Amino acid sequence: MTNIEQQDLKDRLNLIENMIAEGRRSTESWGWTFLLWGVAYYVAILWSTTGFGWTLWGHNYLAWPVTMIGTCILTVVLAMRKHGRQASTTMGRAISAIWIAMGISMFTLLLSLGLSGRVDQQTFVAVIGAMLGTTNAASSMILKWKMQFACAVVWWAAAAAACFSTVTQSTMVFLAAIFFCQIVFGIYGMIAEARERKQGANHA
Amino acid sequence: MPELPELNPVIHGKLRLALLSLLSGVEEAEFTWLRAKTGSTDGNLGAQLLKLEEAGYVAIEKRFVQRKPQTLYRMTELGRQELTDYVQALKQLLGAAIEA
Repeated sequence: MTNIEQQDLKDRLNLIENMIAEGRRSTESWGWTFLLWGVAYYVAILWSTTGFGWTLWGHNYLAWPVTMIGTCILTVVLAMRKHGRQASTTMGRAISAIWIAMGISMFTLLLSLGLSGRVDQQTFVAVIGAMLGTTNAASSMILKWKMQFACAVVWWAAAAAACFSTVTQSTMVFLAAIFFCQIVFGIYGMIAEARERKQGANHA
Repeated sequence: MPELPELNPVIHGKLRLALLSLLSGVEEAEFTWLRAKTGSTDGNLGAQLLKLEEAGYVAIEKRFVQRKPQTLYRMTELGRQELTDYVQALKQLLGAAIEA
């Protein structure tokens, strides 16, 4: 075998390694969903507590279901537009499955509790905190993302704190958790994803 | 002296090798994603993917998303096996070249 042939075989081996790595490189961006849902939580809280919804849309008790369903539809539409023309990985499907399952569980439980009247402000915050803590933790373990695990810890702390606090205190805890784990983390995620995409472009 | 393996000619083409390697790391991929990753033209990419499909290494699924046509490519079990065999053969050839 000549040196040229040998180099050609080495090049092919390198090509295989590079392409496998390139295929696995995350090109998906989900930071915007954290930001979107953070804003949605604030809208729902504002609507349900200040009563501006009364004059605008009629009934305050519709605040959470309407905001959550609306945001859910918006998320699906935007996700289809953003990710419709890409590659899907097992890891991506696993993370999507966790979040979708959590969303359905939370919606079913909170809607049922709300309609039956067997929920108070503190329980409401505790349920949301515990569920978001679980989902963020599972997602962070799959992605090996410490910052997301920190968000899970914040949500768990908020859930625990809500059980021992007054209505006002639980609201403050909830607002703070949303700010750090949805708004700040969402923006951080978007910046990290943009940086990764830029590195990917340079690499290609 | 052991006989040196032959390299699979269907996989040996650089673009086809790149496509199979890319598809081995994902569940399925869209045509435009493959085009962006390989930097190839539509015509060349389509022709090479057709060869891989004819060999049974790649499966194709066509569907509509938001009224736009979408072509998805997925590596078959046969394709995965052939790529593994190809890598083994490459390593064997390189090993023999280093020893010689």
